[in-house]
Amino acid sequence: MTWLEFPTYILLTSVFWLLALVLLLTPKRSVFHSLKGVFLFLGWASIIVFTIGLWISLERPPFRTLAETRLWYAVFISTIGIVLYYRWRLPLMLAYTLLMAILFLFLNYLNPDTFDKTLMPALQSPWFIPHVIVYIIGYAFLGFSSLIGVYGLYLYYKGKEVDRTLLMADNIVYIGFAFLTFGLLFGALWAKEAWGHYWTWDPKETWAFLTWLSYLLYIHFRIRKKQSPKTALWIIALAFVVLLICWFGINYLPSAQSSVHVYSS
Amino acid sequence: MNKNIRDTKHKNKLWQFPWGYRESFLIAFFLLLSGFLIDLIDGGGVRMPAWPVNIAIIIIFIIYFILIHYLVKHPIVKWLSSTPAAIAAISTFTLMVLLLGFIPQTPSPADPSLLDSLGLTNVTSSWPYLMSALYLLVVLGFTIVRRFKSFTIKNIAFLLNHIGLWIVVVTASLGSSDMWRLSMGLETRHPSYTAFDSKGQGYNMGFGMILLDFNIEEYPPEVGLMHNRDHTLKLEKGGKLATVKEGTTDILDHYTLTFEKYIPFARKYGDNYDTTSIAGGARAVYIIAKDERNGNTAEGWVCDGSYAIPADYLILNKELSVAMTQLRPKKYSSDIRIYHSMDEYEDFYIEVNKPVTIDGWKIYQTGYDEPMGRWSETSIIELVRDPWLPVVYIGIFMILFGTLYLIWMGKGRIKTKKA
Ligand code: HEM
Repeated sequence: MTWLEFPTYILLTSVFWLLALVLLLTPKRSVFHSLKGVFLFLGWASIIVFTIGLWISLERPPFRTLAETRLWYAVFISTIGIVLYYRWRLPLMLAYTLLMAILFLFLNYLNPDTFDKTLMPALQSPWFIPHVIVYIIGYAFLGFSSLIGVYGLYLYYKGKEVDRTLLMADNIVYIGFAFLTFGLLFGALWAKEAWGHYWTWDPKETWAFLTWLSYLLYIHFRIRKKQSPKTALWIIALAFVVLLICWFGINYLPSAQSSVHVYSS
Repeated sequence: MNKNIRDTKHKNKLWQFPWGYRESFLIAFFLLLSGFLIDLIDGGGVRMPAWPVNIAIIIIFIIYFILIHYLVKHPIVKWLSSTPAAIAAISTFTLMVLLLGFIPQTPSPADPSLLDSLGLTNVTSSWPYLMSALYLLVVLGFTIVRRFKSFTIKNIAFLLNHIGLWIVVVTASLGSSDMWRLSMGLETRHPSYTAFDSKGQGYNMGFGMILLDFNIEEYPPEVGLMHNRDHTLKLEKGGKLATVKEGTTDILDHYTLTFEKYIPFARKYGDNYDTTSIAGGARAVYIIAKDERNGNTAEGWVCDGSYAIPADYLILNKELSVAMTQLRPKKYSSDIRIYHSMDEYEDFYIEVNKPVTIDGWKIYQTGYDEPMGRWSETSIIELVRDPWLPVVYIGIFMILFGTLYLIWMGKGRIKTKKA
């Protein structure tokens, strides 16, 4: 399986998931409503099949290029959305995660990568896969929590109660933050083996650390119970901007002309 | 659990105890300001002290936290472990790292601009950065000492995270002056004795090393369609390159390519390529290209070239040719002999990602003579000595275990929220 077959699979995935979202709107007890699970699964399965196929055909884990990380982001965020939906019945979050996943797949359709089968020697390490996987899981959770933050801001400015929203964001930040910490520390341990030092203030490292600090700020801001919810919501929304710079914006920063981590495209 | 929780809505006068956000941020502001001033006036940046001054500083630091915490009952001490202080400290530190993230870190000491004088082109050795890190470490230190009493699981996780972070930040920064990172070029003919630091200063290592053998394992060669006008690759959407393998065919665009013959070490003899055992051989493949739109065929040799022989293309038409991409190393490695004395030596093997430790040095494979490619007779290695590393690792693993708890428990306040 290669990127050439990609359009077929994203078409399948998008159609299945959009159908599932439409069925979600039907009355709770109707047959249609219960059918949505089937479509959720079919959409998920088709993207998983593609990902595994790509992995096999590339003969290396597909974690190298920006398009490949976007593919994984789509896989993880939709998985998280579906699991959270069945665990806590969060239809809005399901819709958000599926639409985000579709958006990312669509971005890949517009900007597919060239075939790059090679992996530079320093990246051929047992650390590589765990490092990238924990990062992507971290990003998926943190991005998700920030979206909850944005939703909270919306509620806040409409004069609604945001306590519950913030508590939900808290829990998701904790999980995402822990994964991000793992990503940073695995990165450090690996860098020591590959390059001789665990931390070099490479732009990608710097921005990942900044992302980490932003959410650290949020966690500590939320410790006191009587903090302004507005500030908390703004912190978590802005932290997302830092996360996005770390992920996509780095290539455009003046400080990042020599990063070893900038994704090739 | 928290004695210093109070209503922030109720504003008291500035600098009246207990201190809150305003005081915490003002202090941060003064710290940064003084940092910038020191850099402007002094201009030298910060030099981290080396062994044994650094260990002394760390011990004094720790004793200081404990003594002050138990002996001084002033509201400032309480403030030092409060959340507003933590928030201000984390924000200030974040600000400095943001500057680091936006401003290219390329100081020009010869002709310093304002950014240079403020230390912003070398943030990690600037005074404002040091000030913000100190603020962070002091607040973190007092926070840790205050929680050092009950050992519930929650508290243990808290301590693992905070102590781990304290250890990592302190030892990574104070320990950096005890670290040696030297680079050395090894050759096949004569032993090398001198290694160089990043400033180009040479050091006699007290032992000699010679390169016995250097090896590159390469990715299989690939060919692609190239624009004749500017020699760039033509890549369709999701465009691909064809992997060369003797006896196979592949399709690129409208062309079917048949790989008739492949020579991994080739040299040109007249119009033809043949295997060579002389250094400098390149990779060559004989291709028959058929244009599926009109049935025309073109055939000939395509070669990636090396330092010794030029590259060769198969011209298809006015616009396009078939070209081979440059050799890409999959991994490279060196067999090295180290001479402890004239007749006492030891052989070892290193590869990227597989360093070895010899005589207290960790030795990494970092490079080779790239223009020479697989014919390189030079291997570049790095020698690293970092006595603080084990301590940094202890910190790292403490944080790993501490954050595992975060995943496991989450914030865990949902149930008690109404309390
Ligand atoms: C690895 C990094 C860190 C993690 C994972 C972390 C996590 C946490 C968590 C989960 C809490 C709540 C604990 C509880 O209420 O039991 C907390 C509290 C706190 N943290 Fe951190 N933190 C980190 C770094 C820092 C830093 C850098 C500072 C200060 C500069 C700091 C200062 C504080 C303070 C003052 C509290 C409140 C303690 C209390 O109320 O007893 N933390 N931290």
